[in-house]
Amino acid sequence: MNEQQQLIKDTLSRLLTDLCTPQEVDAAENGEWAGNLWQTLNETGLALAGVPETAGGSGGDLEDSLLVLHEAARFSAPVPLAEHFIAGLLLAEQGAVVGDAPTTIAVGDFEIDDALNLSGSAENVAFARWCGEIVLAARGTAGMKLCRIAVAETDLTPGLSVAGEPRDTISVSRQLDAANVFDAGDDIEHRIRLMGAATRSVMMAGALESTLEMSVQYSQERSQFGRSISKFQAIQHQLAVMAGEVAASTLAADCIKESFASLNEVDIAIGKARTGEAVSVCTDLAHGIHGAMGYTLEHSLNHRTRRLWCWRDEYGAEKEWQLLIGQKFVAGGADNLWATITDQS
Amino acid sequence: MFQGMTFEPGSLPEGTEALRQEVRAFLASELDPDVLPNSDFNAGVSAEFSRKLAEHGWIGMTWPKKYGGGERSFLERYVVTEELIAAGAPVGTHWIADRQSGPLLLKFGSEEQRQLFLPKIVSGELFFSIGMSEPDSGSDLASIRTTATKTDGGWLLNGSKIWTSFAHTNHYMVTLVRTQPPSENRHAGMSQIVVDLKDENVEITGIKNLSGESDFNQVFFDDLFVPDNMLLGEEGNGWEQVMSELGYERSGPERFLSAFRVLVEFTREIEENGTDEQLALLGRLSAHLVTLRRMSISVATMLESGKLPLSEAALIKDVGTTFEQLVPEVVRQAANPNASKRFIDTLNECILHAPSFTLRGGTREILKGVIARGLGLR
Repeated sequence: MNEQQQLIKDTLSRLLTDLCTPQEVDAAENGEWAGNLWQTLNETGLALAGVPETAGGSGGDLEDSLLVLHEAARFSAPVPLAEHFIAGLLLAEQGAVVGDAPTTIAVGDFEIDDALNLSGSAENVAFARWCGEIVLAARGTAGMKLCRIAVAETDLTPGLSVAGEPRDTISVSRQLDAANVFDAGDDIEHRIRLMGAATRSVMMAGALESTLEMSVQYSQERSQFGRSISKFQAIQHQLAVMAGEVAASTLAADCIKESFASLNEVDIAIGKARTGEAVSVCTDLAHGIHGAMGYTLEHSLNHRTRRLWCWRDEYGAEKEWQLLIGQKFVAGGADNLWATITDQS
Repeated sequence: MFQGMTFEPGSLPEGTEALRQEVRAFLASELDPDVLPNSDFNAGVSAEFSRKLAEHGWIGMTWPKKYGGGERSFLERYVVTEELIAAGAPVGTHWIADRQSGPLLLKFGSEEQRQLFLPKIVSGELFFSIGMSEPDSGSDLASIRTTATKTDGGWLLNGSKIWTSFAHTNHYMVTLVRTQPPSENRHAGMSQIVVDLKDENVEITGIKNLSGESDFNQVFFDDLFVPDNMLLGEEGNGWEQVMSELGYERSGPERFLSAFRVLVEFTREIEENGTDEQLALLGRLSAHLVTLRRMSISVATMLESGKLPLSEAALIKDVGTTFEQLVPEVVRQAANPNASKRFIDTLNECILHAPSFTLRGGTREILKGVIARGLGLR
């Protein structure tokens, strides 16, 4: 971690300790937009840390943005940082600038005709109801287009993820202004999927670290049979297993951060598959250690674990990415398997 | 992550790629294609192969030139060792001397000992064994009962060591003994002594493991005289020395690649007509492997900068050996019903060795205790 990154991490950590308390996360789950938090993240430039300044960002490198997502996930920040970052990047590629209000990403089935009539729908659009705009990919008559549209110009049906965060369904049937339609490469949907999976992997690594910290702390505070349960070997061993999974997740996510600029497909696949697998192990153990207390809404463990259960399925669950890795690795042949592995940075 | 548990990012320097290719070319010319490779570092022994590695400067790579070493980096050594293990090369003979006895001698040994042993380890002429476990002392290493009693000009050893791999073929054993009776501080009063395994007063009895191989032994001392100059390090400092040895022992590629040849043969099985389930399994296991490599490279990078990351090393061994045992199990379940003999032989050989993966170098329970200490729980 360089100096700039350490600064981002420390600043964000202080800021989120104040502005993203468990009460704030609960409030968001009860339908209150965390406007104050968003405004601060936006004004400090943290929301777009790695997006070029010419596109409204802070002009750091992309690793910085992913670091922000990693840290924010440690606090379960109920704001669409990942989506806003992806939208900011995609618009920046087109020379356009993302707005101050959060922008989200819709992944669905959209078409746009030559008169720029956009139609289609998407499910599970993160935080759509609280966003100003949506960025999406649509099939044009002569190739893929990237479109931006105000949320107010869509039909929105509210929905929630298992984490209690907005995952709304939107449908669109409207003519767009030419300024809001851009030529995109035919791989735009794939690139959005890769970016989405990358952000989710990094967020999972952050939330997993926090889950381990909470579990260690709880085990030291909770006393049974006359001593803190952290003194029991059975508990220590469960925490050790968690630590192994968390370390693996963090390293897999770090690798995604380093190679994000080139959207390395295999790095992202490995990160998403590995962190996703760690979620199953760690949420099971964390809840076991926390006992009934961790099963309540009162304890903030659920803020982390429910988001982990949501994120592991978004932008492709483990199986999808494992298959991609398997197909890539088998293609080199058995006798080259080792070379294929060492070629992965 | 935690104060006692940090994985600093590490990566292999540019120059290591040429070295990697050099090792691959060597292996391609040396390994007998008729012998089914086994990537368990303890499974293959060949003093001749070890001497050839020595000719290339691949033993004692990181050690000072004045002892014959190569003064190369831990990351260069990492590359060589992972290439050897992945290919299933017979590295068992020199492995311990190169991995831990040499570094131990460098750190704690006398100048005389270094001059005596290191150049011959580097040239592939001297091989070492580990003398830690005893019949009644496994995980509880501090309970060892082998004693060394001071006598004129040396020490008299009594007791026995067990599970000593290749004691019957190797030359020396770094032996943990009690030089003081046990006291309130259980870790006090131990020392390390270099025992000449060819001494006629050392009795070595082979023990067959469940695969029928006789690679490990019980070693007996009955008033064995060892001269003063074979005391390694300080008298009474044995525990600390043994612990530092374990930092080198636990984080290397041999802790997650033991089942790699199974993965290779599974890949061969599904090369043509693999189902999505089989391909996804290959993908899943590869994701684990790539990540473990990064963890191990991270620790090699820390070793290079002079740190001794003990809890991180324990964590890699725990996660890595869990993975090594997972591989044969899940691959077996996903295999084609008409699998080739080559695949089945490789798989079965791995299954027969797999129980040892989580025993040697510290059991799962011991490692998890070390990790728990890193988390601040002990």
